[in-house]
Amino acid sequence: MKAIILAAGKGSHLSPFSDTRPQPMIGVAGRTILDNSLELLNSSGINDIFVVVGHKREKLIDALREHDHEGLNIHYVEQKQNRGIGNAVMQVKNKISPGEYFLLLYGDILTANNIFSKIQQSFHAFKCPVASICLPPSNEQFGNVFLNAQMEITKIIEKPKSNSLGNYVLAGVFVLPASFFQLLESSGASMEKALKKMVAGDGLRASMWEDEWLDVVHPWEILTANKMIMDFWEGSSIAKTAILEANVTLQGIVKIEADVLIKAGAVIEGPCSIGSGSYIGNNSLIRSYTSLGKNCEVGSGVELKNCVVMDNTQIGRLSFIGDSVLGENVDIGSGCMTVNRTIDWKPISVKNGKRISTGMSKLGAFIGDGVVVGAGNMIQPGTVVHSGEIIPACYSVTHK
Amino acid sequence: MCGISGVVGLKDVSQLLFEGIRNLEYRGYDSCGVALMNKSRLFIKKDIGGVEEFYRKHDVLQQKSNIGIAHTRWATHGKVTKGNTHPFTSRDGNFAVVHNGIISNYRPLRDQLKKEGYKFSSDTDTEVIAHLLEKFFKKSRNPEKALLKTLNMIEGTFALAFICTYLPGHIFCAKRESPLMLGIGDEIKFVGSDFNAFIDHTKNAVILDDGEYAILSRDSYVVKNILNEEEITKPITKIEWDSETSKKGGYPHYMLKEIYEQPQTISNALDLEPSGLDDVVEMFEKAESSYFLGVGTTFYVAIYAQYIFSELAQKFIAPISSDEFLSLANVDKKTLVFAMSQSGETFDTLSALKFSQAKGAKTAAVVNVMGSSIARMVDKVILQGSGPEICVISTKAALSQMVVLTLLGMKLGLKKKVISKKAYQENLKSLKELPAIIQGVLNERSGFIHRIANKYCKNKNWLYLGRGIYYPIALEAALKMKEVAYVHAEGMPGGFLKHGTLAMIDDDIPCIVFVPPKEKKDLYQSTIHSIEEIRARSGFVLGIHFTEQGKNHDLFSEELILPNVPTLTAPLIQLVIGQLFAYFTATSLKRNVDKPRSLAKSVTVG
Repeated sequence: MKAIILAAGKGSHLSPFSDTRPQPMIGVAGRTILDNSLELLNSSGINDIFVVVGHKREKLIDALREHDHEGLNIHYVEQKQNRGIGNAVMQVKNKISPGEYFLLLYGDILTANNIFSKIQQSFHAFKCPVASICLPPSNEQFGNVFLNAQMEITKIIEKPKSNSLGNYVLAGVFVLPASFFQLLESSGASMEKALKKMVAGDGLRASMWEDEWLDVVHPWEILTANKMIMDFWEGSSIAKTAILEANVTLQGIVKIEADVLIKAGAVIEGPCSIGSGSYIGNNSLIRSYTSLGKNCEVGSGVELKNCVVMDNTQIGRLSFIGDSVLGENVDIGSGCMTVNRTIDWKPISVKNGKRISTGMSKLGAFIGDGVVVGAGNMIQPGTVVHSGEIIPACYSVTHK
Repeated sequence: MCGISGVVGLKDVSQLLFEGIRNLEYRGYDSCGVALMNKSRLFIKKDIGGVEEFYRKHDVLQQKSNIGIAHTRWATHGKVTKGNTHPFTSRDGNFAVVHNGIISNYRPLRDQLKKEGYKFSSDTDTEVIAHLLEKFFKKSRNPEKALLKTLNMIEGTFALAFICTYLPGHIFCAKRESPLMLGIGDEIKFVGSDFNAFIDHTKNAVILDDGEYAILSRDSYVVKNILNEEEITKPITKIEWDSETSKKGGYPHYMLKEIYEQPQTISNALDLEPSGLDDVVEMFEKAESSYFLGVGTTFYVAIYAQYIFSELAQKFIAPISSDEFLSLANVDKKTLVFAMSQSGETFDTLSALKFSQAKGAKTAAVVNVMGSSIARMVDKVILQGSGPEICVISTKAALSQMVVLTLLGMKLGLKKKVISKKAYQENLKSLKELPAIIQGVLNERSGFIHRIANKYCKNKNWLYLGRGIYYPIALEAALKMKEVAYVHAEGMPGGFLKHGTLAMIDDDIPCIVFVPPKEKKDLYQSTIHSIEEIRARSGFVLGIHFTEQGKNHDLFSEELILPNVPTLTAPLIQLVIGQLFAYFTATSLKRNVDKPRSLAKSVTVG
């Protein structure tokens, strides 16, 4: 069976991180969401993969070229203009022969267990189109499905207002027939309408997914995704070429890649991952659920806690980064702090376009690619710093 | 629905046959049988009961044979007796046949065969096939020709398989409408009603289409068209999943599957033959004293029935837990003992019924498994028709029994003129609306229940409270929690609180309260009062209620709001919520949902 991964959308809610990369290229727990999906697809027996690319496609294609996925034939199909999900699916029309079934996957979906094996089992049991369904923490952003006892979907209600429904929702993974393209064509390339037509016509069965599942929509969900994958880890790994100096303490599950240098006195509390070529300064404290990208530099005496730091980022000495996400090539000056709670422990809201309450009482900052933060800055909980911004250093004593 | 399994291989196949029909047990399990062949001699063994029980009782696994067929049956027509169990043999004992389907013209065929001197040992349609095979074999001396002649004679639907002593080492099979497929291994071939019969041994399957027959031997197989006997090249289908997944029909667990089947099983209960229910109602009317009998879940069904009979028929009937029956009950010839059992094999209930019968009491029962011990021994049985229940935790069978008992209570009330004809009709309407309401609740509330269960799954204790008829609902919902999630949960009437339990209420003991609809004014008020008592001691209350959101804002710590429903069926809908809450708590805690530790489906020991 062929798989189609939709990776062309802009994912504007995920700004600042999606401004500079396709959504599936967000890194969690030491690798991208796309890498995670490709690995699961491969182990479910699928190796012909079409990735629909658009927004910032070079980033995705370059990264996949560098990272060898053994046994996978990956092809790229371009969606020239961002005209929605249905239109993205249509781009693959001539790659699927009549009568053939294919697996369709929304690129921002993340699972730890193999959702693709499960949907293929359901497909073989039912022998008809199947949609994975799950129960997320909130229903509002998803297509809510109604089922009968035979697991046939009888109705789909898209994005219901307020919390009026507690249904299973579409999980963004489908097994569909080639004839689905005709349905899309006759529905003005609307995925919603085409699925509804399928429900009313030949039928669509459900495959219940009960394990962890996440649609990474908002920047703070990168942290949830990171934790979800790390909780699934079973063992530590330390590359042969990593160097750990004297008095380096490792606790829990840690993954340390090639050419990492950890200076004396550092404490690493797992689960943590430290990407290849990174440097951890003396007496640093790396606490649980920290994912450090490749070639990062962490100065001495830095504390990191529950944060995702992408490639080539530097964090100056004596800083604290907690419950935060840092993009690539970020430069944090020495003595900076992401404050991660308010004095009254109220849930923190994030203004990213409009202001949204995250429901989390501990949350730091979201700092886009290439941001420079001068020394001595205190960053308010829930702050978004857009890519390329430069924040001057903060001095209490100056020479003027 | 029945299950067929057949194996032909190099060595001993008895174990494989056993696994085959055990994997098909979800298609039915009231009786089963096998036919094996050794040195051109057929060995047949059959009995009523489930597959595991059958193999425990009979020394079949020791039989040496490289070929065999087996059958597991779920009777829909015809009694469950040893005589009606497959396989059937022909008069001369040289053919053994298993069959799934219905031969519509078996009566004229049987009459004709009788005239020709064939004797029939059963009232099934399948026996006709065995005799026809023998008859046509005598003419042609060719089993394949005999099969074709036979198929030419019979009308209706079939998936059948046979072995015969004239051509040992070969299984013959044919299909029209009922499912049948072949499993192709090296030096071993299988036939089965579906993949489950052989999926653990080969992933290569050939799916037979209607109007095809096949002949299997250890090292080869051939599929042909029944009409023109031409050979058909069939593609081999690779099966890429395990046997468990396909049996669950896409559901992650049998428990959830069975919860989702409840709208259907309730409809089945409402479609039961009215005369059967009327006979039992008459027994209740005649009896001077009556008891409801059940144990575990069915004891809670019995308490529920007590409230229904009291309210709708003004008849007080004591529910007694079967294991305590001998210590409590005073039975004589004028007593009616009405039992509830899913399997019909529950040891304690059986003993209590035997005791009652010995004292001359009348007995009746509602049972799910046709032909079970209880179904056979009581004076009058109601077969609830909920279909096989696989999960050890009872959901659909219990809910259907509650519906059956509501029907009985209504009928008795009408007969005793406690409720008017109009009220009876209204209640009946409420029951008929129940399947659709449950379907809606399953669809639209699962997410909320999942969220709350996930949030509070780490709680070590729960107190389940309900007043009036909501009390047995609280008991049963708490039992589900204990059974499947291994979490301590205690069901209790709300009135008990201030007589002791209130002392332990603090913010560590969360409560679930089943709040009746507002129309039940007194019950509603007193339930709210219980909640206020808990809240005053900063206790946590999860309210399952029918009032609007936000109306009781301070009353509940968490709430699950249900749609407005008739008061008669409101408790049953709350039970569905209780089932789902236990289920999602169990999945959040990664419990073994379908087979909880230390528990068995039917408790057949004392």
